[in-house]
Amino acid sequence: MSITLDMLRQGIAALFLLGGLVFFVGSAIGMLRLPDFYTRVHASGNSETLGCMLSFIGLIIYEGLTLTSLKMVFVFLIVFLANPIGSHILGKAAYKSGHPVWTLASKDAPKVLSGQPQGSSANEPMGSLPAKEGN
Amino acid sequence: MFKEEQNVVGSPLLHKSCLFLLLFAFWMALAGRTETKFIVYGLLTSAVTVWITYPLMLVPNKAGDKRYYVLGISVFKLLNYSVWLLWQLILANIDVLLATTGQVMAIDPKVVRFYFKAENPMASIVLADSITLTPGTVTINVTDDGLFEIHALTPGAASGVLDGSMQKKVAWLFDEPLQFAVAEEEVPA
Repeated sequence: MSITLDMLRQGIAALFLLGGLVFFVGSAIGMLRLPDFYTRVHASGNSETLGCMLSFIGLIIYEGLTLTSLKMVFVFLIVFLANPIGSHILGKAAYKSGHPVWTLASKDAPKVLSGQPQGSSANEPMGSLPAKEGN
Repeated sequence: MFKEEQNVVGSPLLHKSCLFLLLFAFWMALAGRTETKFIVYGLLTSAVTVWITYPLMLVPNKAGDKRYYVLGISVFKLLNYSVWLLWQLILANIDVLLATTGQVMAIDPKVVRFYFKAENPMASIVLADSITLTPGTVTINVTDDGLFEIHALTPGAASGVLDGSMQKKVAWLFDEPLQFAVAEEEVPA
């Protein structure tokens, strides 16, 4: 049995897909391990950039230079442009509503109970939300 | 119609032609057929889309005396910036992957702040979007005064945002002078 060019291409595509998988799995692990909302947003960033990019490169190599791969490039570009906007809106909403930022200094502080007012929580090491005009 | 195109930076006709060609190329790529019917439909659709969306793609500056076209970026500079951003993404991705999957999580989450001002509002948008796209940093707030508040996951991500390399690159992308300053750390309560 000899190795044909087709098999070589499929092998390279599989390597790229596996590389993407590493970042997707890393993203999932981060999502489970990280302590608070803001840090978990970072974990999703892992899958949306390199994970997505490597997977799409793998699929494009598998597909070859066709119109379908061009459409994959479009999908990839839309993911690239739209995903950070989603992350930003989530982070901004949490920040505006006074969600405390977890830091190393607040690691051993008692957990905030849901009914407790935000101002009195020991879990808010950044002082408070900077009072800003407008926006 | 005349009023809509006043104070626009650059030539509206050039913007519209480029947008039309881009949309038509997109149509042809999606259609994948070259019969006359599809080409005529594509030309008509692109023309109507340009007519409707061009006024929406002009963003005013802070003073309100100029309006910038959203896609008015040099293609060469955009390509250069994209390649540079991709390389930064790869580095940051590996950094975050190692930090979150190691035996002991090497994270130090905090909020860092800096000032970045630009005449073109798209510069702030591109900077905020690029920072969020980079793993390990998320823009959580941008004020009207140009104060950016960034949540950084690792110490490397925080110093990467504050060293000003991305700000310099974005200012270069939009032909603007670099107006960048690190805001002093807020004292923890």
